[in-house]
Amino acid sequence: MAARDVTPTRSVLLDLKRRIKLSQSGHKILKMKRDGLILEFFEIMEKARQMRVGVASDFQLAMKKITIAKVVDGELAVKSAAYALKSHPEVDLSSKSIMGLMVPRVEANNIHTTLLQKGYGVIETSAYIEDAAAAFEKLLITLIRAAEIETAMKKLLDEIEKTKRRVNALEFKIIPEFKESERFVKFRLEEMSREETTRLKHLKKKGASTE
Amino acid sequence: MFKHSGTGNYAYMSARVKAKQSKLLKEEDYNKMLMMSVPEISHFISEAGYSKEMNDLAVRHSGIELLEYATYMNMSKQFRSILESANGELKDMVAAYLTKWDFENLKVVLRGKNYGLTLENMREDLVIAGSLKEDDLEKLLSAPSIEEALAIFKSKTGLSVSDEAIRAYKEDKILTKIEDEITKGYYKNVLDSISGKDRATNIFRNYMKYVIDLKNVETIMKLKMENIGGEEAADFFIPGGYQLNQKIYAQAAAAPTMEAAFNELQSMKIYEELKALSQTPTISLLVLSMERVRLQMAIQVAHMYPLSVIPVVVYMIMKEDEVKKIRTVAHGVDSGLDRDSIKNLLVI
Repeated sequence: MAARDVTPTRSVLLDLKRRIKLSQSGHKILKMKRDGLILEFFEIMEKARQMRVGVASDFQLAMKKITIAKVVDGELAVKSAAYALKSHPEVDLSSKSIMGLMVPRVEANNIHTTLLQKGYGVIETSAYIEDAAAAFEKLLITLIRAAEIETAMKKLLDEIEKTKRRVNALEFKIIPEFKESERFVKFRLEEMSREETTRLKHLKKKGASTE
Repeated sequence: MFKHSGTGNYAYMSARVKAKQSKLLKEEDYNKMLMMSVPEISHFISEAGYSKEMNDLAVRHSGIELLEYATYMNMSKQFRSILESANGELKDMVAAYLTKWDFENLKVVLRGKNYGLTLENMREDLVIAGSLKEDDLEKLLSAPSIEEALAIFKSKTGLSVSDEAIRAYKEDKILTKIEDEITKGYYKNVLDSISGKDRATNIFRNYMKYVIDLKNVETIMKLKMENIGGEEAADFFIPGGYQLNQKIYAQAAAAPTMEAAFNELQSMKIYEELKALSQTPTISLLVLSMERVRLQMAIQVAHMYPLSVIPVVVYMIMKEDEVKKIRTVAHGVDSGLDRDSIKNLLVI
């Protein structure tokens, strides 16, 4: 909105003043929100960093265990044991709010199965396969936790970016424009008031000369 | 299964397995293989007696898969030739020992059917090294349900599962109970087939009893890792072991930690062999050490009683071990494990 596009009336001036006040308080709140989100982001980033390290180490361990299981028992035995599994991992999806931002909460169910629930014989199935299965269950749990944290982190980043754009728009465009309009309206009103006074003086002078 | 009459053609069979045994790979061969790549290992074993199987299967498989299928196929052929040449009670003992491969095949079929695999996929993973012939395995594969597959298996091998196990399977579609009952049935069947009337068959019988002990120790440790004890653990005890009776098993299974469970085994001969691990009894180290003990036992008796079942059984054990070692080296090299780690996993 260009400053000279507004109608220079008192009501517009009042309206502009109200809008400036509102924008300034909005700007203050959004700045606080942005700072709060950044603080939350740094906390989550640290968790995500640790989680990535955890995922990498769990992945390495699981791959090492499955490799050893394949080395000792062979591909066929590992494949056959995998076919015996009947339980399917499940995830429960819900959401939680971080400063008004909804982030997903992922809970893993039915991932860890005991030796008796695996589906294969306890006596004959190799301890190496059992070890590998346990390592992969742990990896899956870590991956699900990591997915929750990484998604929250990405959503936070998007929200921080959005809030930053709004804060900047208010600070560098909307509030200055309102102030410019206010200055213009004030100036025009003062000028109109001066014109009015001059006109009144002229009229008074004219009236006195006719008398 | 029908019992064969007569004592068996021990002299003929001993001569045959002696010739076969001389062709088995030696320790230095595995050391050489450790320095090779997978294609080099494939070439090496082709020259060491696996060429026919490698050539036959090369159309369908390649790399590590070809190596695994070819070694299994070669082992199957050797075992089938022994089974077909043996007669009398020797044939009964060999057949009973080899039923473990029938059980392995049954597991492939049951798990495959439970999972919904195609017949072709299941057929590919069968190792025809047991007493069941290809036709019998085809019948198993084409059985419309797991119950019918079990009935066919029972009619061919005599190994059956209880109605309770089948009921448990129907309820939760878990094969654990069925597989464990067949495992127990297998060991009972082998022990029953060994008369123990002379020193040689007694040695074989004792070897099988030691194997049962080792299986029971492994089961205790596996259950301990999952904190399973008491009544639940008792279901997995294989009767007929050499020293590990139900009482020791129950005490070890009830122990609060792995270390405590391990200490409960002090009265057993095997404890002496494994006591170095008593401070850190990780299951993988234990299994590896027990495997070493088992092979050592077989090697120790290998040259006793040349005209008996011992040379035949020792050859079969050594052949199984050879296939396992080739696979270990090839998989280890393929997956980039360092030489020392592979060597540690090799039971030499």
